[in-house]
Amino acid sequence: MPRLLLLNAEWEGEIKITPKLKAHLKKTKTKSIDLFASTQFAEIGNFLKELKKLKIKVNIQKAKRTNKPLQILGCDCNPDSFEKDLKSDMILYLGDGMFHPKALILAVDRPITIFDPISDNIKVVDRKDMQKELMIKKRNLKKFLNADKIGILVTIKPGQQYFLAAKKLKVDLEKEGKKAYIFIDDTLNPMNYENYPFVQCWVNTACPRIGTDDIVNFSQAMINLRDALDPRRAFVELEK
Amino acid sequence: MYKLELEKLITTIKQQKAKQVLIQLPDGMKHKAHLVADAVEEETNAKAFIWLGSCYGACDLPLGMDILNIDLVVQWGHNKFNKEMW
Repeated sequence: MPRLLLLNAEWEGEIKITPKLKAHLKKTKTKSIDLFASTQFAEIGNFLKELKKLKIKVNIQKAKRTNKPLQILGCDCNPDSFEKDLKSDMILYLGDGMFHPKALILAVDRPITIFDPISDNIKVVDRKDMQKELMIKKRNLKKFLNADKIGILVTIKPGQQYFLAAKKLKVDLEKEGKKAYIFIDDTLNPMNYENYPFVQCWVNTACPRIGTDDIVNFSQAMINLRDALDPRRAFVELEK
Repeated sequence: MYKLELEKLITTIKQQKAKQVLIQLPDGMKHKAHLVADAVEEETNAKAFIWLGSCYGACDLPLGMDILNIDLVVQWGHNKFNKEMW
């Protein structure tokens, strides 16, 4: 096996409270913040000092799958992905792109403020920005409950491989009178799903964002392993 | 715009005496792959190779590299994570 070196690729600039962000915090009367960032934007010493000067309380916690506080991963996308509830006035994400903010949207039904330190852009997003994904997720859950033939997808990528869980799920589903088939691949490619038209619903055991974001890109129903294990909880969380 | 951390990379390759290094960059950094490969081959005795495909996270590592005798995989933009157990 080759050895592995992971490099953070930190942003070269300094993260600071720009006049635009300061005005936004003032306008929204923010007194407390739940703060998250991607690993590129984790050097926030001066940013925290500036927030302290503005008398804004900052709450930083370690999400379930991350290795250090502040950071958020795309797979920290469930209500139980955080040790503490996100109760501050504002949930603030430092970084660019929508991948990580979408994890927060999926985890908590509250507005997420994105501050991009590179462009100095501020954007507020919420579940309306994922309406299509959430609608299809709900539809797919119903299809899963009604399906007789289930395809369980397993990747061989070690960080996302849940072969044992897939085998257990197959046993559980077959106890309920359904038929379940386990499909194995390295990269899960939606084009391959269409070759198995007998599958009425897929269960994705790899990256949970495949079963949330990517479901808008193909017609066949798919849900994530977590939701297959407890569909009732999945419905409740969608209503939260 | 994002730090390539070439110094750390070169030091690690030399320390580990790696001979074949695979460079795995996220989409936003792929356009700099040649800079990394050039640095590896100019400053160390290792050969550099570039992963063509995805780099979604530390959970998305290239497989089968042992078949090619790659002895060091370097991924940018991510760090260690805790795999959830089901």
